[in-house]
Order: sequence, then structure tokens, then C-alpha cells
Amino acid sequence: MTEEIQKKLQKELEIFNGVQKEYHKAVAQKQQLDSQLNENKAVKEELALLKKDSEVYKLIGPVLVKQDLEEARQNVSKRMEYISKEIKRTDDHISALENKQEALQENLNKLRNDLGKLKIKA
Amino acid sequence: MATVSMAPAPGMHQIDLSKLNLHQLAQLKQQLDQELNVFQDSLQTLKIAQGKFVESGESVEKITPQTKGKTVLVPLTGSMYVPGTIIDTDNVIIDIGTGYYAQKDIEGGKDYFKRKVQFVTEQMEKIQQLGIEKSKAREAICMMMEMKLQQQAQAQKASSS
Repeated sequence: MTEEIQKKLQKELEIFNGVQKEYHKAVAQKQQLDSQLNENKAVKEELALLKKDSEVYKLIGPVLVKQDLEEARQNVSKRMEYISKEIKRTDDHISALENKQEALQENLNKLRNDLGKLKIKA
Repeated sequence: MATVSMAPAPGMHQIDLSKLNLHQLAQLKQQLDQELNVFQDSLQTLKIAQGKFVESGESVEKITPQTKGKTVLVPLTGSMYVPGTIIDTDNVIIDIGTGYYAQKDIEGGKDYFKRKVQFVTEQMEKIQQLGIEKSKAREAICMMMEMKLQQQAQAQKASSS
């Protein structure tokens, strides 16, 4: 009986660690997306400040390519939209993982308790 | 470039430190230490960014109508230069982020860097403020831990004598 629970505990622990790893990855991803969104926000503000006939370039590889200002503005807005969607997706993912983690933690605690009780009995 | 929000993080609420046990206090202290470290790192990064903006702003100041036609050495790599001549002293091209570069006149360039320096400085001030608050909380936790330890020691003495 003790061995059985111990085995189960080990298995659960492995699953828990996996979920935890995934969770950390998701959080790191969200942070990256956040900073990207912030950078795009700053660029959008800057583009909005430019005069109509200002020249705008985009760095493609090592060269600067001239861009249409209006097009650049639209591009940045589109990208911000996309990043916002990604952030929302990651947020959902993170909360789902949080719930999973909690459930697993509870399960682990229960198994540990059972094991402790059995050990006292033995 | 991260914007620092002043809103308290979700899950932050007031807790009565005296109700926590030593283990919980230690855990809380560790968490705060970690957060303080993050703040330190962020401040360092912001300081570097601030330095770059200040430097760029100073470079723009050096471009005046008198510099027109002067020769400069343009770095092709870190260790190789080719001679060049300044033709346009009215405009600069500035990296505004995410791979976009915008042409601005000298005044616009000066203004841009001034704004950026101001922005970064504001962020730094916010972080410093947050850091001070966290340090205070950490101090309170340390004091509470010491108190609890003393209580424990006294209780032990009383029971052994």
C-alpha cells in the first residue's frame, strides 16, 4: 500500500513539475509580449507626432527602406492588435495553468498526507 | 522599453504580519528580496537607456549649419573608418523602435531625445518609489521575525527552567 502511494506521488509530482515549467514559460512569454506592445505603443505615438511629409524608413536586414507614413501607421496599429490578441491568449493559458497547478497541488498534499498516515501506522 | 504601472499587483492585499508564523514570514521576505532584485536590474537597464538618449541628444546638439561640408570619419565596422562629408545639416534620422526610423529636423531630434530622457527618468522614479515601499515592508517583516524568534527563545527558556 505504501509503495503504491509512493509511486503515485512520484508520478503526480512529475506532472506537477511539468505544469510548473509550462507556467513559467507562459509567464515569460507574456512579459515579452508586454514589452513588445509597449515598444509598439511608443512607436505609434512617435509616428502620430510626425508631420505629413516626414520621411519614414523601415530597417530590413541592414538597409533602410523608405516607407509610406500612412502605411507605417497602419502597420503598427495592426501589429498592436495582433500582440494584444496574443497577450489575451497567453493570459487565458496562464490562468488555466494556474488552476491546473492548484488542483495538482491539492492532490499532492492529499497523497503526502495518506503516506504520512500510513507511515505512522506502520 | 517597459512602462511601469503603479497599480498594485493583483493578489496584493494587506496582511497582519503578527498573524504569520516564522516560516511564512521567511517566505514573504524571500519573495520581497526577489522583487527588489528585479527592481535593481530594471533600474540598471533604465539607467543605460537614459545614458544612450542623453548621449544621442548631445550629438544632435553638435550638428549646426556650420558643420555643413565638414569631413567626418564614418565607422564601417568598429575598427574601420571611411571619410565622408556632412551634406545635410537640417535633418537627422532617428530609430523610433521596432525597426522604424523617422526623419526629423534638428529641433525635432532634440525634442525627441528630451522627451525620451524624461520618459525614462519618470519610469526610474516610479521604480524607486516602489522599491522604497517594498524595502519598508521587508524591514517590517525582518522586525517581526526577530520578535517572534525572541518570543520563541523566551518560551523555551521558561519551559526548560
